[in-house]
Amino acid sequence: MSKPAAQAERRPTDWNSPAMQKRIRRRYAAERRFRVLGAGAVILSAAFLGFLLLTMVAQGWRGFTVTELALPIDLKADGLKIERSQLATPAADLALASAGLEDVVDNAATRAFGADGATYLAPSAWLAVRGAVKRDPSLLERRTTVYVPAATGFDRALAGDGDPAMEAGVARLTRQGAIHRGFNWTFLSESDSTDPVAVGVWGALKGSLLTMAITFLIAFPVGVLSAIYLEEYAPKNRWTDLIEVSINNLAAVPSIIFGLLGLAMFLGTWQIGGHSFGPMLPRSAPLVGGVTLALMIMPVIVIASRNAIKGVPPSIRDAALGIGASPIQVVFHHVLPLAMPGILTGTIIGMARALGETAPLLLIGMRAFIVTAPGGFTDPSTVLPVQIFLWSDEVSRGFVEKTSAAILVLLAVLLAMNGLAIYLRNKFETRW
Amino acid sequence: MRGKRGADSAIRNTAILGEQEVTMLGRLALIAFGTLALSACDGSATREIRVVGSSTVYPFTTAVAEAFVNARSGRKAPVVESIGSGAGLRRFCEGVGAQFPDIANASRRMTRKEFDRCEQNQVGEILEIVIGLDGVALAESNQGPKLRLSKRDVYLALAANPMGKPNTARTWHDVNPALPAIPILVMGPPSTSGTRDAFVELMLAPGCLEADPNAAKLKTEADPAHYDAECRRVRDDGPYVDKGENDNLIVQGLAQNPNALGIFGYSYLEENQNRLHGVPIEGVAPTYASIADGQYPGARPLYLYVKKRHLKAVPGLKDFLTLYATLWGPGGPLVKRGLIAAPEAMRAEMAKRVADLTPLDPAVLK
Repeated sequence: MSKPAAQAERRPTDWNSPAMQKRIRRRYAAERRFRVLGAGAVILSAAFLGFLLLTMVAQGWRGFTVTELALPIDLKADGLKIERSQLATPAADLALASAGLEDVVDNAATRAFGADGATYLAPSAWLAVRGAVKRDPSLLERRTTVYVPAATGFDRALAGDGDPAMEAGVARLTRQGAIHRGFNWTFLSESDSTDPVAVGVWGALKGSLLTMAITFLIAFPVGVLSAIYLEEYAPKNRWTDLIEVSINNLAAVPSIIFGLLGLAMFLGTWQIGGHSFGPMLPRSAPLVGGVTLALMIMPVIVIASRNAIKGVPPSIRDAALGIGASPIQVVFHHVLPLAMPGILTGTIIGMARALGETAPLLLIGMRAFIVTAPGGFTDPSTVLPVQIFLWSDEVSRGFVEKTSAAILVLLAVLLAMNGLAIYLRNKFETRW
Repeated sequence: MRGKRGADSAIRNTAILGEQEVTMLGRLALIAFGTLALSACDGSATREIRVVGSSTVYPFTTAVAEAFVNARSGRKAPVVESIGSGAGLRRFCEGVGAQFPDIANASRRMTRKEFDRCEQNQVGEILEIVIGLDGVALAESNQGPKLRLSKRDVYLALAANPMGKPNTARTWHDVNPALPAIPILVMGPPSTSGTRDAFVELMLAPGCLEADPNAAKLKTEADPAHYDAECRRVRDDGPYVDKGENDNLIVQGLAQNPNALGIFGYSYLEENQNRLHGVPIEGVAPTYASIADGQYPGARPLYLYVKKRHLKAVPGLKDFLTLYATLWGPGGPLVKRGLIAAPEAMRAEMAKRVADLTPLDPAVLK
């Protein structure tokens, strides 16, 4: 009885009443606050990212440049005793070194650039001369000019941050017009060195690529097959639930644990029945690094693949089964191709994580100083993030800019991989 | 209508793609098994030289490794890992064979216990080579308070239990009334580091013996626990900050905090001379000259340990050592990198040891 009466008494809302106006203002204020907070969060993270990039570029761009000095040199007059015929033999390097090429180069620098001349040259300067002589043996008999890398101290002085003696040298050589700056190709083609002028990222980059290849070859097929089995074939019972929980757990395990696992499993010695079995895989090699990282990213790939397979509508399976396809045909002809964009995206994100990983690789010995790039999967090598870590620990100050430059290379590789993930997703994605 | 046709063609496309996918998966599997099979065969072939150990010796061994490859291209590059002296000698002594390192870098002498472990694992004869000297330098920022310390001050400031009681000193003034009232803050390497061991042996323990007349008696006790607790343990209640094996972090820390001191190898001090200077100990600052002639108390030899049984099996190992010996002299490339050349008599003896391969006599180890 009272209910309709109450309804009848209710008047339309008075939007102009002070109480209502206050409520409206509060709602608008809450809306604005939320928008400002959200924008603030974006601006903050963009600022962090921008700061990181700016510092890296500001410190790292010099790492991509090299200062070279035009060194006039006359090898014969300077007393380099070596026959032209010796240059063709494999012992040429040894012959040039023992003929005192290093001293000859230092003397030429002293003559050309003054008493401190030899200190302007990088320790690897004689290697540049050696390379030039080996390319063109006629240099042995005539006067010529070779561009050789300048020492770190000289480079710093050129940037306005060196000691006074070097700055005087820079001023003098600038007047002589002997200084040449250019793009540092050796940074992309060489490997580790003790001299910051001669270092390169190629060895580490190649190590990373080899490691990633092993990781992909193991983690992708095993991960995808596990996902297919769990989604399409496995019965739903307590055991598969247990496996699912374990996989989700494994995806969250810190990477260092996988390093310890890899160390114990692949590099440890086993005592079985009085016999000891040596390490299964060679230490410091991309092979052992790749297998360890594969263990690490496998759970990520399984989870991503399962989600992608789940996203394929059941109607596709029913239709395929309905026209007589066998279960394996359903999976490989229909479900997997449709799930592939999701699977690939998950895989590439996992691979990008593996590419940036340092901790597990430190434990299995991929942190060594190696002058040459690895020749194959079993050669000792290092990887980009570990190389960055090693350079950050170097004594010489010239390594600061090389560290930042190597970080830029790593960022570029990561960006390329994520770009590939986006491209693949857009290219193969199907909308229902 | 359009949507349906789109879906149809998508299914048709993906069906074709699917067949390609099957063959691609098969190929991938083949490649994977192929690489694994290949790698299983490899491993016993001639191996590159492998060096592990001290981060202080690392820059010198890497320089030699680079010269070794540059002298004749095509040589397998030696692999040098910096994991600290203690960890390096432990891996060195694990056994003989391709999977064990050939050389251990150490910034302190091998202990008797480590040698016994080597014996136990049938490592056989070992060469011990002193490559030169290094100073354990205490340094401060150029903006710092210009402290002058004695070994006694260092001991009272940094030992866990100076004079047998827990350390309560918070400022240098608490330690020695002649010093300013600046909070004690010393950044140094962790306990796995040879630099830290050398700091304990060369500064902390001698300071302990000076400060406490009882310490000499503790040292002769059969059980070293009391002596270790009073003289060799570094405090862990804040004033000593463990900065990890990365010495650049200590250099950065000093630049940020001018009142702090850092402990590291002399080569780092030399490289950063425009930012840091050494703290004089007993009135002697760490310089090339004072370390080379033994005046500076924190001087220590740097060692290489080499397995004699690996000399034949690893190609170039003997050449590597010979090259090392030609590079460690005064004015040589290692000295340019911060090594302090050993006295001439010692260099001659070490060069002879490399040439004759005279093994280490365990009786000299402690």
